[in-house]
This record gives sequence, C-alpha cells and structure tokens, in this order.
Amino acid sequence: MINQQVDTKQKSWLKVMTMGMWNDHPIFCMVLGICSALAITNRMDNAIAMGAGVTFCLVFSSFFISLFRNVIPARVRMLAYMVTIATFVICTDRFLKAYFPPISAAMGPYVGLIITNCILMGRAEAFASKSNPWLSVLDAFGCGIGYSFILILMALIREPMGFGTILGQRIMPQFWTNWVILTIAPGAFFLLGVYLWILRTLARKTE
Amino acid sequence: MKSALKILIFCIAMGTCSGALLVGINTLTATRIDRHEELKLKTAVLDVLLIPYTEDNALDIFKANVETMNKGNMMIYKGKDQAVAFEFKGPGVWGAISGIISLNPDQKTIRNLKILHQEETPGLGGRIAESDYLKQFKNKDAVPRLVFTPPGKARANNEIDTITGATYSSKALEKLLNTTIKDAVGLL
Repeated sequence: MINQQVDTKQKSWLKVMTMGMWNDHPIFCMVLGICSALAITNRMDNAIAMGAGVTFCLVFSSFFISLFRNVIPARVRMLAYMVTIATFVICTDRFLKAYFPPISAAMGPYVGLIITNCILMGRAEAFASKSNPWLSVLDAFGCGIGYSFILILMALIREPMGFGTILGQRIMPQFWTNWVILTIAPGAFFLLGVYLWILRTLARKTE
Repeated sequence: MKSALKILIFCIAMGTCSGALLVGINTLTATRIDRHEELKLKTAVLDVLLIPYTEDNALDIFKANVETMNKGNMMIYKGKDQAVAFEFKGPGVWGAISGIISLNPDQKTIRNLKILHQEETPGLGGRIAESDYLKQFKNKDAVPRLVFTPPGKARANNEIDTITGATYSSKALEKLLNTTIKDAVGLL
C-alpha cells in the first residue's frame, strides 16, 4: 500500500486519468460494473445516460471521499463511502426523473442501482481514500469515461442487431430479422465476452 | 472511548450533510416530477378514451372532457360520451405490468388499451406493449371475460390471439385484464 502511495505521487495527472481509460480499464481489466453493462446497453440512449450518470456519481463521490479521507474514521470508512455514493446516486435519479423522464423510465431501477456499481466502491477504496482530491477526480473521470466507452460500444452492436435501430432511428434494411437474444442480458454476455477478448488482446500489445 | 465518540460525531455530521443535500434536491425536483407523473397518467387516459390532444393542452383538455370518479380503491375516468377508462396493474413474468384500458359506453366492449409499464422479455412478451398487438382488443367483448387463444386461433368476439413464444406474459395479461374489468364493471 505504501508503494502504491509513492507510485501515485510520481504519476503525472495525465497518466492517472488515462489509466482508467485503458491500462486499468474498469470493465475489461478490473471486470467491475459488469451487471449494468449487461443490463442497460440494449439501447444507445440508455447506454449514454448510464455512462453519464455513473461518471457524475463517480467523480463527485471520489472528490468528497478524497477530501475527507483524513477525517473518515477507518472503522466506518465503508459506511462513509456508501452514504456518499448513495447521496449522489439519489441526486442523479431525481434529476433524470425531473428533466429526462423518458430516459428515467427506460432505465427503471438501474439508476438507483448505480449505488451497487462496484466501480464506485472500488475507486473509493483503492484510489480516492489514498490520494488528493485533484488526482481522485481525474482517476474517477478516467474510469467513468472508460466505462461509458464500453457501454457505447456494446449498444452500438446490440441496438442495431436487436432492434434494427440506432438512437431510435431505423438503420437496418427492411429484410433484417431482429436478433432478440442481443436485446436481453444473456446475449450481452456473449458480446461482452467477445469485446473482452478483442480488447485484452489489443491491450497486451500496447503493454 | 475517544475513538467511539469520534465515530459517533462523524456519523451524525455525515448523516446531516447528506440528508440536507437530499432534502434540497427533493424540493427542487418534486414539483416537476409530480407534473410528469400527472401528465403521463392523464395523457394515457385521453389516449384510451380517444380524445385528441396536444402535449401543451393535455391537462386542460383532460379537465374539460374527463370526469374523475373515486370508487372504493379504483379511479374511474369517464369521458363525455360515457366511455370509461381505468388502470390495471399486476404481476407479469419478470416484473409488474400496468396500463390503462377503456370500455365503450355499452360498458361491455373494449374501446382501447395502453400498456404504461412492463418488464417482459424484450421482443417476446415485451410485444404486449406494441400497438400492432393491442389493436386486436378493440371492440372485443370483455364481459363476462376475455379468452386468450393460441396465435391465429381467435374467432369469437371475446377471443384474443396470444403472442408466439410469450405464453406466460399473455396468461398474466389475460388474468389481469379479466379481474380488473370485472371489478370495474361491478363498481359502475
């Protein structure tokens, strides 16, 4: 842990931010946040909203956890992370309900379930609790963008093949038969597996 | 002892801050959220009663054309032509199904229905919410009961084709509609 702390100090801010987007990518390296990546990526607008929601909650919770990292008593730190995360998630949920009701309706309970997204808890414990607010925000932002990027990639395949549309606009030819399997979570497992395979192969080359 | 006190103080402070933030966001958004809920329900009622409206004047048209009656635990919406609409809500295969249905002035045949919420399998049971499926309900005899038949077998005026590959979603909808219509007709 001490090594990691020294490590963190030596990292330039750009490196901290890009770690979450590629080398330490939350989905294909840490394999966190899979549940939501399977559940809501069957439509592009949901994927974008989920990515934005997670990034927002991640940035704010990381910032506050990092700001109070020396005040939070070690024994109740998990509880403190949970309360901080839950507060921002509820704010996001209310905001979507008030200003983007169709997206809120489409995502249903998954907005509230951002609370249980392991990426938030993972970054709070692994990074924000040990680093200064500036780096924590960058790390959170990088992870959020990395996560959103995969969601969008998944939706880019699932929506056209499953519904024949992209962002609600029909793009597939008339003769196209929708692949229903891709609109439900089991189909997303296959797709995510294929993506993990491709991205990990690419990542090995860049290492 | 000292650390316990510190934890206690910390928890109280944290709870207060997060509580205050949530109260704030709730006050800011509550009216908007309530209005969306109201608009969603009222436009659905107008839809099933076949009263034309635009998004801007939906609430005024609702007020002018629809009479709301609270009967027991059920809200019944009556149009000027004596057609009635009411909500139905119950379990589907994966989650709740809810929607709104209207009966013609004879209070026997279905005028229209709309699914407001469903969590059925997309592409299979989820098709219960599609207008192509729902349009076959129009003018069907709902009293004494609707009967869901295998796909393509509906003949009599109270028979509805089920969706291929969605037997359980269809059964859930059949049960839900029949019980709700029976209750509502009893109240009228």
